[in-house]
Amino acid sequence: MSKDRLPEVLEKWEAVIGLEIHTELTTLNTKMFCGCPVAFGGEPNTRVCPVCLGLPGALPVPNARAIESTILAGLALECDISSWSQFHRKNYFYPDMPKDYQISQYDRPFCVGGHVDVEMDGAESVRIGITRIHLEEDTGKMVHVGGSEGRIAGATHSLVDFNRAGTALMELVSEPDIRTPEQARRFASQLRLVFLTLGVSDCNMEEGSMRVDANVSVRPHGQAEFGAKAEVKNMNSFKALHDALSYEIVRQADELEAGGTVAQETRHWDAGKKRTSSLRSKEFAHDYRYFPEPDMVPFTFDDDFIEGLRASLPELPDARRARYARAYALPGNDASVLSSDLGLGAYFEEAVEAAGGPEMGKAVANWVLGDFSAHLNAEALLPADSSVTPRKLARLVQLVGDGTISGKQAKAVFAEMVATGEKPRQIIERLGMQQVSDSGAIEAVVDRVLAANPEEVEGYRAGKTGLIGFFVGAVMREMGGQGNPAMVNEVLKARLGG
Amino acid sequence: MTADLSLLTAREIRDGIEARDFTATEMVEASLSRVSTVEGDVHAFNQITPGLAFAAAARIDAMADAGEPLPPLAGVPTAFKDNMNLRGTNTTCSSRILQDYESVYDCTAVRRMLAAGVLPVGKCNMDEFAFGSSTENSAFGPTHNPWDLDRVPGGSSGGSAAAVSAGMAVLSLGSDTGGSIRQPGALTGTVAMKPTYGRVSRFGIVAFASSLDQIGPFSKTVDECGLALNAICGKDMLDATSVDLPDEDFTSGMREGVQGLRIGVVRDLLELEGCDPRVRDAVRATVEGLEHMGALVGEVDLPSCQYGMPAYYIIGPAEASSNLARFDGIRYGHRVPDAEDVMDLYLRSRAEGFGPESIRRIMLGTYALSAGYYDAYYGQAQKVRTLIIRDFERAFADYDVLVTPTTPTTAFKLGEKAADPVSMYLSDVFTIPVNLAGIPAVSVPCASIDGLPVGIQLMGAHFNESTLLRVGYAIESMSDFDPVPPLVKTGV
Ligand SMILES: [Zn+2]
Repeated sequence: MSKDRLPEVLEKWEAVIGLEIHTELTTLNTKMFCGCPVAFGGEPNTRVCPVCLGLPGALPVPNARAIESTILAGLALECDISSWSQFHRKNYFYPDMPKDYQISQYDRPFCVGGHVDVEMDGAESVRIGITRIHLEEDTGKMVHVGGSEGRIAGATHSLVDFNRAGTALMELVSEPDIRTPEQARRFASQLRLVFLTLGVSDCNMEEGSMRVDANVSVRPHGQAEFGAKAEVKNMNSFKALHDALSYEIVRQADELEAGGTVAQETRHWDAGKKRTSSLRSKEFAHDYRYFPEPDMVPFTFDDDFIEGLRASLPELPDARRARYARAYALPGNDASVLSSDLGLGAYFEEAVEAAGGPEMGKAVANWVLGDFSAHLNAEALLPADSSVTPRKLARLVQLVGDGTISGKQAKAVFAEMVATGEKPRQIIERLGMQQVSDSGAIEAVVDRVLAANPEEVEGYRAGKTGLIGFFVGAVMREMGGQGNPAMVNEVLKARLGG
Repeated sequence: MTADLSLLTAREIRDGIEARDFTATEMVEASLSRVSTVEGDVHAFNQITPGLAFAAAARIDAMADAGEPLPPLAGVPTAFKDNMNLRGTNTTCSSRILQDYESVYDCTAVRRMLAAGVLPVGKCNMDEFAFGSSTENSAFGPTHNPWDLDRVPGGSSGGSAAAVSAGMAVLSLGSDTGGSIRQPGALTGTVAMKPTYGRVSRFGIVAFASSLDQIGPFSKTVDECGLALNAICGKDMLDATSVDLPDEDFTSGMREGVQGLRIGVVRDLLELEGCDPRVRDAVRATVEGLEHMGALVGEVDLPSCQYGMPAYYIIGPAEASSNLARFDGIRYGHRVPDAEDVMDLYLRSRAEGFGPESIRRIMLGTYALSAGYYDAYYGQAQKVRTLIIRDFERAFADYDVLVTPTTPTTAFKLGEKAADPVSMYLSDVFTIPVNLAGIPAVSVPCASIDGLPVGIQLMGAHFNESTLLRVGYAIESMSDFDPVPPLVKTGV
């Protein structure tokens, strides 16, 4: 309902949105400051040790790979890497935080500056600035028992699971450059693709390994000052992000138009009720008493180290999209789709290679985006898990290309490949599907068909060229569907024209 | 008859067990026997651990029986400050909030001592969370100085100092944040070393001020101090601030003498008001002795050190306020049984669990880090710290070792300063700059006044512990100080 009103609201009001994106570095073997393994779920309090439980006397030891991952992310997003950096303690009491301080970063984050150019369909791309990327440790998880829906209100007691506590958490803070929910959605989704490409996280929003919070305010177009902002939390998907922002923009605009004010507060997105609501928790004016973490020495990074990491950057999504468009002559949309799905892109490239090289790109892309994607969706498979390997698909494309089977036959063969896992050549032989490309055989059948249908031949020659389809159909029927359609066409046209 | 640990050194014990003159088990018995006669008066321990000690002794004796080479501290009865984790013990920090806290892992320095063969005889009393200079701030009652039971042993590692002084242990470990090893060392006539920051892993010691804390040993002799350092020093992957240096034998150069060593008396500190002139004279006399032995003696000023005290009482409490936040009653430690909600649980558990000095320091530190005050307090204190480091750098360009008294006075009476925190804080005036600069320093007994020991503090450049031991050994060999207090002698 509010979503429908968004375009109208945005004509009058300008939305100002900044995102804070927390990404758990799930691909690390160990947590940020101890040797405990990183994994989702599990029996509560089984992946813990003195360090991540905050037992007396335990000390944090920084995970070098977590720092490298963060710097890689910074390099991929055009950030400046701080020549020296350090952790700070952020002090506040909460039961899910074992030490009652979080080791985080304050005025010396690993990465500052940077930007993402967000692609907007049919419009100019929008550049969103990145303020900083820093590293911190995640908290444990609380379960409230006895209240409704696991909420703290009305709960009789709470349980804490520290399995997640101490997992490396990379926080990216954007500039308030975002103006629409769609830009926000695309920005977050492009970041996710970059992090996936770098291999630093599985970025699973439902499991919370990627969490997006948004600061939202509205102001009349042309006004320089920002309006009062609300922080919106609990958006567990890109769709939720889009919907929550749409709702919140309209809500704030309505509030202001009715002569009210927007409260500076944290709001919770309820995906079921499709609305944000104030958390109404006792709002403390938090003073986090940041100070440099004395259990670790500051980090310094020389140019060799940073350039070494830069050289190890994989091909990033933007570059991959451009390469697909260029090297395989793919239309923009095909290149976008293939480059935004890492698994599908890798499958595609392997199949193109197996099929004989870039000139086969378009034909392979058609298959990958068509029947192959449909097959993946139908069976909820990842590209790598399909029985139709890139090599088998490549073979199928080749068999069409060299005229062994027709495109139509190929679709049937593909269906058999999915069903049986057989190679295309085996299926073609088993079903006797070989396409007839012998010109003598085709000519004989054509002559027979023309002789049997003199009236239609006359009609065609008198200008009813649409009858060509009738002749093709008759010839193909005669040949049990195995005639090479291109050759059949060619022979028919030569005979009829003569 | 039971052996007298006051008369045995660590080296003699190890060699005696290896030679089968006596057994490690007899060393535990000797310790327990002394405990039974003096511990009731001294109260050096929060917990005696005969089970752990006898088990360790049995392993050493089995090795000796098998004719295997013994580790360097085999069979040496050793006590640990009660802020060091040791499985099989409670680690209380002399606080109600951790009264029943059982260690689930071992502190690295303790583990290394055990690997060197020591017998863990107990966990020592201390000022609560190491906040204090007299061991009166213990939730379990004060420790008494074996030299005069009406006097304090110093603190915060007063229990560790008293245990060695009274011959209940031959070695002990303490922790030093602003003088908590050296000051009780001086007041009990023991050799007490705070190594360079980073020399000894802090893993497993309950943190007071992470940027200042360092573990170090108490012993009766300088040689034993070196042996204990040999055991505990070295890089630890579990402490990111520990330093990776080649192993060294701290006792090897000890007997080389002080010929040609440049020794600087820190004049402006020595002349501080509040320093007992007799202590000053004892230190000057000791330095003269070193000069006679060939040391090159001069005087030097460390002008920024007069600001060390205020800087320390910002940085220490600031870090402590954060380090002690984890004692919240959620996962372990004292928790009120009837909390209304989580805030009530925090407030009452902590108010009941912490003693008054802990609460004072937590509040000081919280205030110093608060928005709007950070720059004026914490930021300013860090600048002072930098100036003090510069002072020392300049002084160590001209001198190998700097000298002050360890404490302004000899041991004071129980209760004498308890009501006046600032006068208590002043007893660390000579030791605090060392922690702020991260350098090593050792207190060596050099005289006694009215039957109470006087300590001289020797300070060195970073990682120059071996030179300190060399000077300490020279002082020990020329001094006629007897480290065995009368209390124990009459008991023999
Ligand atoms: Zn852990």
